Amino acid sequence: MADERQDVLEVTVIVEDVDAARLSDKANENAVSNYSLNVSLAERDRSTEHLVLSYSMELTSQPPTARFKVSGSATLKGNKEEIREGITAADMNRPPPVLLIIYERIYSTIYLLAGALKVPHPMPNLLKKGS
Amino acid sequence: MIQETGTGLYSGILRFYALNDVRKYMKELLERYQREYDKSSNVIGSLLRAEGGKGMEVIMSKGWAKVGAMFVDVTDPEKGGMELTFQLVTEMKPRIAKTEEVLKTFESVEALPIPTDATFLLYLHSGIPERLVIDTTEPRPEAFAFKGDFVTIQ
Repeated sequence: MADERQDVLEVTVIVEDVDAARLSDKANENAVSNYSLNVSLAERDRSTEHLVLSYSMELTSQPPTARFKVSGSATLKGNKEEIREGITAADMNRPPPVLLIIYERIYSTIYLLAGALKVPHPMPNLLKKGS
Repeated sequence: MIQETGTGLYSGILRFYALNDVRKYMKELLERYQREYDKSSNVIGSLLRAEGGKGMEVIMSKGWAKVGAMFVDVTDPEKGGMELTFQLVTEMKPRIAKTEEVLKTFESVEALPIPTDATFLLYLHSGIPERLVIDTTEPRPEAFAFKGDFVTIQ
């Protein structure tokens, strides 16, 4: 149902499942390591005023000393233009804004887990592979 | 501004992506009207019972005066407020009845041959669902899906 009174996109991110693994005894939390991130987003439910997405992210360090899998849901609340903007990437080389928001919200969880596992901490920003 | 009572009656057009969402919305609307009706009529009923047999004069204020284009009560706020609540309750009855009727007969709308990607425009007039447009000019957006590979950077 459309609600013209809303004027800011509100995103609620829920973590439903987390899996973290230390893959090598040689892992060192102080080492600099790039992580590759494989991500998928899929629509779970939609109305004119909200969109619920399922997300799944898998981060693997390079070299592979650690792996994190996080999945859950992200609910976007706003009018239909705001929702459309939230899921539309500015260009082919950039992630859709909602992905950046999800990563930003779950980053602290991954960061803490990396510390507990004594593996390198992932960096806070994302760049599309090959760009 | 604080809303003391009432249901925020709405006149306007709402768009839905599914007919079931229209039904759900109207059901929630009706429940809201009924809750408000019960609450307000309990207030009136309690007062009438407390005043034992005095009748409607206990909720009718004599303090109304026409000031400009509206009526203002400056001398009898308790009865003035109660009279407004009573007026609201009286107006709610037909609104609830009409919304109930729309919901009860909504099956006949659901039985229409509706294109799968249609959206729905519901017209509410003072809170009553009066008209529905089955809109094939603005279809439901395609289901969103995204997959990608990224690297984390500073």
